Amino acid sequence: MNDFVNKVVQLFSTPEYIDSLLHGFLLTLQISYFAVLIGIILGTIIALIDTARPSKWMVIPKFICRVYTTIIRGTPMALQLFIMFFIIFAVKGFPSIITAIIAFGLNSAAYTAEVIRSGIQSVDVGQTEAGLALGLSRTTIFFKIVAPQAIKNIIPALGNEVITVIKETAIVSMVGMYDLNMAAKDIGSGQNMASYIVPMFTAALFYLATIYLITFAVKRIEKSLRKSDLRAEK
Amino acid sequence: MENNTSLVVKNLRKSFGNNKVLNGINFELKEGERVVVLGPSGSGKSTFLRCINWMEEPTAGEIYFNGKLLTEKNIRKIRRNIGMVFQHFNLINNLTVMENLILAPVKLKIMKRDAAEKRAKELLKHIGLTNKADSFPASLSGGQKQRVAIIRAMMLSPEVLLFDEPTSALDPESIGDVLSLIRELAERGMTIIIVTHEMSFAKEIATRLVFIDKGKIIEEGTPSEFFEHPKTPRVQEFLKKVL
Repeated sequence: MNDFVNKVVQLFSTPEYIDSLLHGFLLTLQISYFAVLIGIILGTIIALIDTARPSKWMVIPKFICRVYTTIIRGTPMALQLFIMFFIIFAVKGFPSIITAIIAFGLNSAAYTAEVIRSGIQSVDVGQTEAGLALGLSRTTIFFKIVAPQAIKNIIPALGNEVITVIKETAIVSMVGMYDLNMAAKDIGSGQNMASYIVPMFTAALFYLATIYLITFAVKRIEKSLRKSDLRAEK
Repeated sequence: MENNTSLVVKNLRKSFGNNKVLNGINFELKEGERVVVLGPSGSGKSTFLRCINWMEEPTAGEIYFNGKLLTEKNIRKIRRNIGMVFQHFNLINNLTVMENLILAPVKLKIMKRDAAEKRAKELLKHIGLTNKADSFPASLSGGQKQRVAIIRAMMLSPEVLLFDEPTSALDPESIGDVLSLIRELAERGMTIIIVTHEMSFAKEIATRLVFIDKGKIIEEGTPSEFFEHPKTPRVQEFLKKVL
């Protein structure tokens, strides 16, 4: 027990350790942030193509989207990361953070697309029909009627996806990147610390705190979206 | 007064995959007419109604509104003249009652926002729901929702109103409220097509009855002809069961 306390004191009083952890944490956040951003943008595009009304112009885009989501969801993230690192972006000097962001962004897009698609499809068809019967355009119907209702279904699942991405970025240590996970391992295996327990539990706390904050924020957003539903119940 | 023909349906067919729902419907509607469409469930009466404003795209046949052939291209403009009231009300859930009422007239630039709000308030007052203007549909009862849906259709001053089983999803108490609102529109000369199972209401309101079976109109006539002297055995059998 005494030894454990000593290790805690050692970890938090050694500037290099703190520095390593924070650097790792920053990398984790950077990869996650941009990957989620790409995921949401690309995922929205895929979902819109997927839910668009069938027409001869949409046959090929719809097919491409379906193939894309099938491949991404059907193969391990770690393998996708390796393919990005060792095949597609195996260019000397190409910044590894960009490779990682692209790998996680493309992966997240497939899952985000599913989240958004199911969110859109969960809106009752009657809502669209009401708009059509009033002579509104498909665009107006989407932005004024379908999208606002779909968002309520999308937000909770999207929060889940963000959490998944943050945790999954830990596998970048497999390609030698210095993220939070790698920092914990690096500190623990060093001569001075010579113990994994404290750095790894510390890293776990970093992950937990981040994810807790996100969960909290998502709950708040959900609540405010739902409140507008019942505004009239004074 | 010579009434103009407002709607002509020629040889309308509609299939969903292999399922042939409408098998050649021919129908005409004159201004001021109130047509009640009857028929057993699954006979295609709702599909018929939904084809008129292209909620369902016809598989074959032609529909003319005021002499104009409906096409994919012109349907959106024509829809504002054909109001529709749905079985499940279909009020927009994320908009207040007031927003539901003014959305189309303002978006379609038929009315300025102030004018639309003024008209919406008058209509709400008329149905006794002034205090619900800022409520969301979720806080309304079924009967209130349907009455709002009816005045929402009226906001565009349509030439024809289509009612697709407007009282089928309502409790008995609300049915009366909704029917009296429809009755009032009828008395003011509104041209109406209504699919309903309310026989006494049908008898009272209809200027003509149309009976659809297996995707075809097999009999039509005035209320007295239809209810007292039905010609086809199918209608005789139907009436025996429902009356």
